[in-house]
Amino acid sequence: MNGLDVGWFTERPVGELRPGDHAWLAYATREEREHVIGDFVHDGLRNTEEKVVYVADSPPERLPGVRRLDDVTLRDRVRRRQLRVLSRAQTCLDRAGRFDPSRMVDVLAHEVDAAFDQEFRAVRVTTDFSWLLTAPGGGLTRMLSCEHLVAEAVSPSTTTMAICQVRRGARPPDELAALRDTHEVLVEANPEFDDGVLKIVRTFDPPGLRVEGELDAARHAAFSDRLARVSKGRLRTHLDLSRLRFVDLGGLSLLTRHACDLPGGSVLVLDELPPEVEDVIEMVGWHRLPGLVRGRPREA
Amino acid sequence: MTLEHRAFLYRGVEDFLRVTEPFLRAGARAGEAIVAVVREPGLSALRDSLSDLKGQVDFYDSDAFYRHPVRTLKQYHELVKAMAPRRVRALAEPVWHGWDAREAVEWARYESLINVVFGGVDALALCPYDRASLPEAVLDQARRTHPLLLDDGAAVRSDRYVDPAVFGDDCDRARRANGRPADAEYLPVESDLVPVRLFVGERAVRLGADERSARNLVTAVNEVVANALAHGCPPVGLWMWRDGPDVVCEVGDHGLWRPRPSSLTGFIPPCSALDRGFGLWTVRLLVDHMEVRAGWDGTFVRLYTACAGDADAGDRPAPGGAA
Repeated sequence: MNGLDVGWFTERPVGELRPGDHAWLAYATREEREHVIGDFVHDGLRNTEEKVVYVADSPPERLPGVRRLDDVTLRDRVRRRQLRVLSRAQTCLDRAGRFDPSRMVDVLAHEVDAAFDQEFRAVRVTTDFSWLLTAPGGGLTRMLSCEHLVAEAVSPSTTTMAICQVRRGARPPDELAALRDTHEVLVEANPEFDDGVLKIVRTFDPPGLRVEGELDAARHAAFSDRLARVSKGRLRTHLDLSRLRFVDLGGLSLLTRHACDLPGGSVLVLDELPPEVEDVIEMVGWHRLPGLVRGRPREA
Repeated sequence: MTLEHRAFLYRGVEDFLRVTEPFLRAGARAGEAIVAVVREPGLSALRDSLSDLKGQVDFYDSDAFYRHPVRTLKQYHELVKAMAPRRVRALAEPVWHGWDAREAVEWARYESLINVVFGGVDALALCPYDRASLPEAVLDQARRTHPLLLDDGAAVRSDRYVDPAVFGDDCDRARRANGRPADAEYLPVESDLVPVRLFVGERAVRLGADERSARNLVTAVNEVVANALAHGCPPVGLWMWRDGPDVVCEVGDHGLWRPRPSSLTGFIPPCSALDRGFGLWTVRLLVDHMEVRAGWDGTFVRLYTACAGDADAGDRPAPGGAA
């Protein structure tokens, strides 16, 4: 399934990134980062054909995705130089400890060249830039020029894909938007379920699911299962229904049953209800769907 | 806590006011929640004579209130709920002109269903029937759907009253012949409902339904087909055609619906979406009319939706309108 175009960007699940993609992830929570970056890194390290370059100051075993490998596999991937965890100092700081974008691009280019010699099929590069936005020599302007350099290096590549991570709360929204605009791809979590009719995607801010397409009897079990997992222990689980085209009456009953089975006071919040679904709910009356509440209205 | 459901057979506005005005005033004195759903000219006359009770009586015009029996039942249900715990006193004059034969039967069934839906509610319902303008058959029906009568000034039990399930059976038997036209389009149904929704949505619009009605029909048919797949026997299929002002969709399977569905099936408003009857009740809300035939040859559910431009007429055709 192809990504959905949003303005200039392509939204793409992390599992569908391809070489040449210079992708952006503004994550809301650690959980979201673990989901997205974890899959990105793990997909690369699961087999032995791709190289992963992770710029971070943490030990490898604490990085998203790497955590999922057993000790033997991890040692093997490090030994083969398939997993490269590079410190900030090694990669993007000059001798005075200031951010140096051109150095970073050189180091990464070197890693990509090495991967080619090692006959890796692809290279996955990622780092969390949040710290840089306030670091000496960092800041928005420097970051923007750095992103342009990375874009120039990655976009024409037939082997390299990169995800630039930033914690959403790190900077004001307008600065994040300016940074985002230097990327062509917005990466998001892999769908929890997708059979071409119904697609279920985890959301993190607010926490819940995005339910896309059509929910009918053949898909109740799959949906119910994902809903149970995400709503566990949450007082408010949000369902983003902006891309829901159809829900059957059994689906409304399923949501209601689920909401009623949650511990007292917990609710399912229906965000961006499409008018056609709201129409049916209004007709039967919200009071017949206890535990479901109207959430964020649909954007005009 | 029971419902007092009484038909009031009157003749002329004066006779109407002589009974309804004190009926509503008694409610005001007792601090009850009062609703008056009345046809003109009675509505204006009653408003004038009760002008001193301003704010204590909710007035509705019957012509706007009685448009779709299942939705009207729901609306009363919600009114009663909103007024709880106060006792409800309702003056409820249905509309009997301008319906085709099928619709008239459904409104009679509606009067009978009141006894079931509000059977356990502490309420008084007085239903005026105008002897001067209504045919004898309608007055006769009133005696069969109301356990109590006010006839010629005498408050009596109706000895003609029948149980709503029995009355509903009679309504079902009164249906016209059930043939499908030769040009009805057929879609066999396997397990996947996606092609069903595409077929119904596309055909409904092509046959003349507006977008909203078509969408509601898709949701309704989807529910009925899902039931057939879950509880019926293959082959399951559906037919669509145009019948006068209506788009019709019939879903059939070869299963025996046992125990046989009661004639009350899908008419009683459920408390919530968790109740067993929620699906069929919502189907009845979504379309203009639904018929269930469960026989030895299988189970057939027929859904009617009024066409675009006839949307209003579908609810309330002009006198002498479509058959």
